[in-house]
Amino acid sequence: MDHATADLKEFITDLVMPHQRCNVNIISDHITMLDGTKIKKQHTRKRRAHKSATLNRREYAKLGLNTLPTRQMKYEDALPLNSLWKGYIQEHLGLREGDQVPQVHDSRYEEFSKQLVKMDLHGAQLTVIQSKCKTLEGLHGICVMDTKNILKLLGLDHRIRSIPKSECVFGLKVGNMDFTIFGQHLNIRPAERSVKKIKSYVEPFK
Amino acid sequence: MTKDIKRKLLAQQQVFSRMNFLFQAAHLMADREQPKLAAYYGKLCRNVGTKAVMHMAPAVKRQLCRRCSLPLIPGRNTELQLEEKSTEIKPKKKRNRRLKKKPNNDKREEAKSPLEPAPEIPKKTERIPVFLECSLCQSRRTFVPTESQRECWLEQPEAVVSEFSLREENGQ
Repeated sequence: MDHATADLKEFITDLVMPHQRCNVNIISDHITMLDGTKIKKQHTRKRRAHKSATLNRREYAKLGLNTLPTRQMKYEDALPLNSLWKGYIQEHLGLREGDQVPQVHDSRYEEFSKQLVKMDLHGAQLTVIQSKCKTLEGLHGICVMDTKNILKLLGLDHRIRSIPKSECVFGLKVGNMDFTIFGQHLNIRPAERSVKKIKSYVEPFK
Repeated sequence: MTKDIKRKLLAQQQVFSRMNFLFQAAHLMADREQPKLAAYYGKLCRNVGTKAVMHMAPAVKRQLCRRCSLPLIPGRNTELQLEEKSTEIKPKKKRNRRLKKKPNNDKREEAKSPLEPAPEIPKKTERIPVFLECSLCQSRRTFVPTESQRECWLEQPEAVVSEFSLREENGQ
């Protein structure tokens, strides 16, 4: 016990006035250690901050969720997705059998075109009609992924190809309707597309 | 039914049908063993909901993994597993502390003492915690046995004030 308090005693005697130094006496029972265990509140807060319910972006990328394997998916796998999409688009646009595209002077034209912009493209059969890059022209496939700048098409040759939206013009067929989509105007995140306000008039090319 | 509600519902209907489609697509892809795409569609479904400030029904929402939004289908991409006895007490304690913010005092005491709840369980009908482990992100969805059947408020019949159906309006 003396050994442990010797350092302390020396330290304290240095601090005390010289003529009081002989009175310094350390009672080891009175020593209170300040570095104890943490209080409960701190513990719980730390644990809660550490464990997050959802994946953050880095973990998400680490699991490889941002990249898709290029050749592992078969075209046949995407066909049920396509048929699901067909049902969805009929519901979304309110189509019935044998409907035609409304003309510009039709009353429902404006609403129809607004719906058209907001539709989801996953599972749609798309064809690249026109592009700045000539090799992309004529590519055909089912869209499996839709990000801000890229569409991933699964072609008939079981390959997933990334196609930049902004440079291309896409063709889309729904029943007996043919649509031409200028990719430039699709450059919105897919989650935001259904909320975003759309101008009533847009230029096809800037 | 006022006109405002009608208009709001019609605007929401598009988002709902989109979320519905994405949820179905996620399930389809999970069934076809494409976990990445399934998680992507599930995540997108969730994001569309958050952007449009719209809620999925809690029972539907819980079908997606909490961390990576992969649809968990027991027997297809996950298995229902029993939790081991040693880890049995811990999640129970945690749940008590976090969820029951304003419980009775005696309940809180029960949670504090770790020895008490363990012998109590086997006395009554034996309840064993069960969990589903996500095959993609290894997070667990646990089903913790509790004596009090606390149900989600939205799932209780008193929570429903009135119902609107869009199908009739479309037909008109």
